[in-house]
Amino acid sequence: MASEQLKPLLEFRGVETYYGRIQILKGVDYRVNPGEIVCLLGGNASGKSTTMKTILGIVKPAKGEVLWEGEVINGLRTAERIKRGVATVPENRRLFPHLTVLENLEMGAYTRSDAAGVAEDLERVYGFFPKLAERRKQRAGTLSGGEQQMVAFGRALMSRPKLICMDEPSMGLSPALVDQNFDLIQQVNEQGVAVFVVEQNATAALSIADRGYVLQGGRVVIDGTAAELLENPELKRAYLGA
Amino acid sequence: MTAITGRIRSVTAPVRAAFARVPRGVYSALGLAAAAIFPLLNVWGVVETAWLRVGVLSLLFVMLSLGLNIVMGETGLLNLGYIAFFAFGAYTTALLSSPKFELRWPFLAVVALSTVIAMIAGFVIGLPTLRLRGDYLAIVTLAFGEIVRLTIINLQDFTNGPNGITGIYPPRLASEGAIASLGDAAWAKWLTVDKPIEYYYLVLVCVVVVAILLSNLKNSRVGRAWNALREDELAAVSTGITAARAKMLSVVLSAGIAGFAGALYAYYSNVISPESFLFMQSVIVVCMVVLGGMGSIPGVILGAIVLQALPQMIREAAGAARSEFEVYRMLIFGVIIVVMVIFRPEGLLPDKLWRSESHEVDPRELEKTRQSLFDLEEGEKDLEV
Repeated sequence: MASEQLKPLLEFRGVETYYGRIQILKGVDYRVNPGEIVCLLGGNASGKSTTMKTILGIVKPAKGEVLWEGEVINGLRTAERIKRGVATVPENRRLFPHLTVLENLEMGAYTRSDAAGVAEDLERVYGFFPKLAERRKQRAGTLSGGEQQMVAFGRALMSRPKLICMDEPSMGLSPALVDQNFDLIQQVNEQGVAVFVVEQNATAALSIADRGYVLQGGRVVIDGTAAELLENPELKRAYLGA
Repeated sequence: MTAITGRIRSVTAPVRAAFARVPRGVYSALGLAAAAIFPLLNVWGVVETAWLRVGVLSLLFVMLSLGLNIVMGETGLLNLGYIAFFAFGAYTTALLSSPKFELRWPFLAVVALSTVIAMIAGFVIGLPTLRLRGDYLAIVTLAFGEIVRLTIINLQDFTNGPNGITGIYPPRLASEGAIASLGDAAWAKWLTVDKPIEYYYLVLVCVVVVAILLSNLKNSRVGRAWNALREDELAAVSTGITAARAKMLSVVLSAGIAGFAGALYAYYSNVISPESFLFMQSVIVVCMVVLGGMGSIPGVILGAIVLQALPQMIREAAGAARSEFEVYRMLIFGVIIVVMVIFRPEGLLPDKLWRSESHEVDPRELEKTRQSLFDLEEGEKDLEV
């Protein structure tokens, strides 16, 4: 694959993190190349959410390096990371329920100061999700689950990111919406945005991903292309129910 | 109960709709005009001078409530020791403009320094406490308020302890020489603020300046960041808000406003003592914010005036039963707050954001919610892009 030669967008090198004295990540390596969809699979308490927080800089690694476009960003603040092109769709979407759709989207552009560019991106998001344009004055908390997912996506896109990190995007959505949700991820990806998606729904995630990692007890136990992972006997037994 | 309120709502709906069409600026202008005209009632002999004093105190509490509203209403942090910042401002002013150290600094310098000292106090208390939330923050701020008060009582060399500082000089808005050179010009006597009516207008101008500043801030990036932190801290951080910095800004700013109010209070009351800075005063300011409507600037102003002026009115009306009333004052406060929390948790003049937060469902949103549920069932169409 051509992407192998590119400088990775995001890289973890032997990252270890702690909450107090409890170690969560025990030396993990990830790589996300520009424009790729990479999925991170794993059960509860495997370190998936901590990985997300480490990418955003909410949790700082005790050991190892987090690199962004080849540069170590271990100590960089969240706001700086967002400016450089990291965006997130948090677990359970975490919209501001009492702010309107428009205000939620504007929050996504919080770190930006180019008003013209923000207005342009707002139009782009509305073009992408016409339903949000219709409902821009409505409180986000009153939207349906699917629409809220769009707002969360839109909010992430508003910072004009190079990478969107998604924490369990299909959680809390009806099964019918889950598939469409993954279509959305693909559409966003086709715009050239890399996606790092944490999921429990392994089949659906691997069906759209280029590559994947399996996390267990704070360590990467399996990694490879999506096709390899789908064929992996251990993974089949553990996650794919075959 | 809801049936009754529902019926009341349906009867008053047309009236409320009519009022809703009046632009908000009109109300602000009317309120300001009323506040500006009020002292003239005294000049014309309609009300006693005692009412002017009630007016000055009400305005000072308006300023305090506006300040507390920044942390409580906008950022969602409970502060039960807020009056301590008021004390910092008041004591700074008392020390710099009284016979205690035989100082009489210019008014602007005193007010500026009082504000800054209170801000520094806010920063110092903010550093360790801003990582706390909810109940813990309330406990620590409560303790902070008490520590400040007890320190004032025991730091006798500086503060005269429980006796307080007396003989605070009235503010001079220009230098002594400049005022003297104006001679007998009618307006020159206004430059030395020593009558209730002069204090009233001085404080009114300060309150208006603070209110304008805060309403601009509320609609700025900073205000939005505060609201986002209050709604969902993790989500706010994920959009690039630096939580610690934004919270610290709100704490420092609110402390500064309290310090400003404290400076004016010290000048006005001429004497200050630790008894003016009891825990109960912090609670009263919290009540003013809750009663008026957290996060709503007009609401908070109304809440402060109602809770400051109403007891005075009742006291006047009670006449002979005056001492009787004092006993029940806090009880009445308590009843008001309980009634408010049950029937109108969003306050008298609520902020639109808070109204939706305090009622699970806003009736106007209900229809839209139904529509959304319908959409959810029609899941297929839901994600069409």
